[in-house]
Amino acid sequence: MIKKADVILFILIVVIGLVISFGPLAKQAGGTDVVVTLNGDTYGIYALSEDQTITVESEGHVNVIVIEDGTVRMDSASCKNQVCVDHGAISLKGDSIVCLPNRVVVEIKGEGGEADVISG
Amino acid sequence: MSSQAKTSRPHDRRTRLVAISAMFAALALIFSYIEVLVPIPVPVPGIKLGLANLVIIIAIYRMGFRYSFTINMVRIVAAGLLFSGVFGMIYSLAGGILSIIVMYLLYRTDKFSMIGVSMAGGVCHNLGQLITAVVLLQNTGILSYFPVLLFSGLISGILIGILAYIIEKRLPAFTD
Repeated sequence: MIKKADVILFILIVVIGLVISFGPLAKQAGGTDVVVTLNGDTYGIYALSEDQTITVESEGHVNVIVIEDGTVRMDSASCKNQVCVDHGAISLKGDSIVCLPNRVVVEIKGEGGEADVISG
Repeated sequence: MSSQAKTSRPHDRRTRLVAISAMFAALALIFSYIEVLVPIPVPVPGIKLGLANLVIIIAIYRMGFRYSFTINMVRIVAAGLLFSGVFGMIYSLAGGILSIIVMYLLYRTDKFSMIGVSMAGGVCHNLGQLITAVVLLQNTGILSYFPVLLFSGLISGILIGILAYIIEKRLPAFTD
């Protein structure tokens, strides 16, 4: 029932997955900035160390992002599925929360020269 | 009399396949609905067992590409309109089209069992959705979900493949 090609494919997928997990996408401590993206454009960059509440509003959609004790969470969202709210808090560099219906992405990034750029 | 019976044969076959396709599409839609009703209790978004894929794999093996592709499209559009909305439908379409093409190609090589085919289908379904998300959101940060989606697609694909293998063996022939 299981053929040799199945096993090879399985091993291949697992190896690709592991390489990607521990390679370029590895999550680590040391994030400093919270980058909020709306519709593909940067909405704002906020310091992870500073407790604050960010309200993102566009076209009748509302997302409330809370930064607290070095973690970020989606406190509430006006979307139907609430996947982003259920996602919980993130704190590691490279981690992100995505609200697909409202097209809002919250990411944690490390030290970068763009830290002082606040747009939106 | 006998010549008439002969000429009606191809039509018989098509009629049966069309009827079975409609039944399969309905069954796949029900499976999609079950997954909306009873989500898997994991904390990561977007992870599903992909029960509907059970129907699609059996359709690929028994009825070929055209029927299985059509069944999948009918299911995705109907499920999109009923449950997930137009945006959800775009993601499902991307995942569904990529996975069925890959599954059919692997099936045609004849080197893979149903489990391998289903495994690839599960992974490609998630991959298609992720690529769509990257394009729609214009954001590559979402790629950090890739490993999770890869492994979840792999595991659910294997489970669905085993189920499909067991069920397909027990189904009667669709046409004579």
